[in-house]
Amino acid sequence: MSNANDWTESWMNSQQNYWKAWADLAQRGMKAPEAPKNPLADGLAQWWQTVSPMAPPTGRDVFDKLMDVSKGYFSLAERFMSGAQAKPDGGMEAINGWLDGMQKTWGDWSKMGSAFKPESMFQPNQFKGLTTFWDLPMDTWNRLAANVMPMPGDYTHAFQQNGAQPMQDQINKFLSVPAVGYSRESQEQYQILAQRQMDYMAATQAYQMAFGKLGMESTKGFQTALQERVKEGKPISSLRELYDQWVEMSEAAYAEFVMTEEYQTLYGRLVNTLLALKQQMARMVDQTLEAMHMPTHAEISTLQCRQQELRRDNLKMHKELKAIQAQLEAMRQSMLQMQAAPKASAQAEEPAPAKSAAPKAAAPKVVAPKAAAPKAAAKPTAAKPAAKPAAKAK
Amino acid sequence: MMPFDMRPDAVMQELTSYGQKLSHGMKNLMEVGEISTGVTPKTVVYQEDKLTLFRFNPSAEKVQNKVPLLIVYALVNRPYMADIQENRSTIKALMDAGQDVYLVDWGYPDRADRYLTLDDYINGYLDRCVDVIRERHRIDKINILGICQGGTFSLCYSALHPDKVKNLVTMVTPVDFQTPDNMLSHWVQQVDADLVVDTLGNVPGEMLNWTFLNLKPYQLMGQKYLGLLDTLDDPEALKNFLRMEKWIFDSPDQAGEAFRQFIKDFYQQNKLLKGGLEIGDPVSLKNVSMPVLNVFAEQDHLVPPDASRAMRGKLGTKDYTELSFPGGHIGIYVSGKAQKTVPPAIGKWLDERS
Repeated sequence: MSNANDWTESWMNSQQNYWKAWADLAQRGMKAPEAPKNPLADGLAQWWQTVSPMAPPTGRDVFDKLMDVSKGYFSLAERFMSGAQAKPDGGMEAINGWLDGMQKTWGDWSKMGSAFKPESMFQPNQFKGLTTFWDLPMDTWNRLAANVMPMPGDYTHAFQQNGAQPMQDQINKFLSVPAVGYSRESQEQYQILAQRQMDYMAATQAYQMAFGKLGMESTKGFQTALQERVKEGKPISSLRELYDQWVEMSEAAYAEFVMTEEYQTLYGRLVNTLLALKQQMARMVDQTLEAMHMPTHAEISTLQCRQQELRRDNLKMHKELKAIQAQLEAMRQSMLQMQAAPKASAQAEEPAPAKSAAPKAAAPKVVAPKAAAPKAAAKPTAAKPAAKPAAKAK
Repeated sequence: MMPFDMRPDAVMQELTSYGQKLSHGMKNLMEVGEISTGVTPKTVVYQEDKLTLFRFNPSAEKVQNKVPLLIVYALVNRPYMADIQENRSTIKALMDAGQDVYLVDWGYPDRADRYLTLDDYINGYLDRCVDVIRERHRIDKINILGICQGGTFSLCYSALHPDKVKNLVTMVTPVDFQTPDNMLSHWVQQVDADLVVDTLGNVPGEMLNWTFLNLKPYQLMGQKYLGLLDTLDDPEALKNFLRMEKWIFDSPDQAGEAFRQFIKDFYQQNKLLKGGLEIGDPVSLKNVSMPVLNVFAEQDHLVPPDASRAMRGKLGTKDYTELSFPGGHIGIYVSGKAQKTVPPAIGKWLDERS
């Protein structure tokens, strides 16, 4: 623990010294020496790399996320400050240039179509920080997609690298060849797999492109919000305020976009194509397992289904049996009461022979269960359990 | 005037302060220890498969309502949200309001549970829990409080078994699954639920997490963590944050068949409201004849208020009450204001009818 404290203290001190030097230079109106491109974000990443092994499991995930967000935040600061350094008076020209640059990047993202490589957005100095921020929904989706795939790691990501276009061309050629010969069925399965892979790639690309358009809308909203602030005389006075304003405008643009029919289709396609791809992979894995005489996923699924049906039937019968037992117990109690009633009545009447007609009058009540007995006897299954619950109850 | 009034030295100072907070936060993180949740003492009274029925240990002098209250939570998250910490516990507040509280914990379904249907959950597990409580207390009817999806389940249960429910309370419960502001509903309309379940079997909790986080991605995946920075120097606030994080990402997988039916019948076809829903037997809201208290949150981004208000006029009961809370889907359980107002109001409403 003391080690971790030492590290954090030394990192903090180095940061303070670093910024103090920069601040001194800025205050003296001197041009600061050439600095690394992303000194803050990189420094933060290095610090976390050093201290994270010492972090306890509790809260480790949270700090990982905080670090990711912090890197984006520091990159935003660096972008902004480099603009401010170029125009120390904070002129509108620098701000507009910054925003226009963002617009252009989003425009490229949304217009370049299949030839565009999304990962180029995340190269150094390509508005790093802002794109990290915008990538949040897609990043979590990619992690999810990797998790549900039967292949280890982010299998789909391999298709999105620089070689994506040549890969697609090859797949198209492959798909155009008719499946023939002894391995026809196997070829068909691979063709289906390839087709589904392409469908998923197309859906992913469409989804990302839509986010490019959304980025443009968001930047426009941000510009409008800045103009409003000027009118209201409430300029942004801190990085945090800048970030919060950016989040607010992004969230507003996002909320509007995701309620459109367009997004509904994109979302449905993204989910459905991923699952269709996984389904085909699972089918092919099953074929391999079957060839090795091992239980397949489909077989286990069938067994699980049957087991659940049996269990459901069992519970239902158990419930019905319990109800029948309760009914029989109620009937037994009723019979005992009826049987006891004439005896009690007879005992009460015994000292007065003159009233001996009374039991006779009551007799039909006793007879009634007897009369019912043959009916029960006619149903042996009903008669037999009647004795058992009674025994259990005793 | 310029839109920015940020001097470079001030920005540098801000960044330095950020670094200080991070490093101090790291120290606190090292010392944070175990994060406790589900704090109110309770006893297991029934278990079946992954399900556990708990009774919160009642304090003899506080229980004034002789009709026990069963809390039915959603399948999609863990129920300790209702008892997340001592000073933020809806359950404890309900006990303080004189209620004898039980809770259904559905557990974590695994692949062997993939074929559990809504019928199994509602007419099976839930009904058996209700019977256990009825037998324990030797009464015919109990009070039920359903939360979120658990509220929808409770409504269905009450419609199917009105003879076993004395009073029904629903909290942030969707009834109309297709209100225009329902983001989740809008998204799933073109999702092939059959493909999802046939392919995945059980639906992974991560998939649900992704969906929920995407309701407000920049706030929930970004801004929230920057907000944490302001409280990192407070160990208690850090613990609270970590406790909430634990809950948010503690999402059980969803039993495939139940998920399929929930998405198709409720979200895509809105059958609970429109009619035609069958869970073992036909479900008609007109059969909900017992008194109903409908509690909803005005800023709920998961279950919009209109989705809950749709209950009004659709039930068979003549005793229907609404309680609106000025907060969000989670705030209604954990905010200080909610603790002071919502459980006491529920307790009072139940006492008047039990």
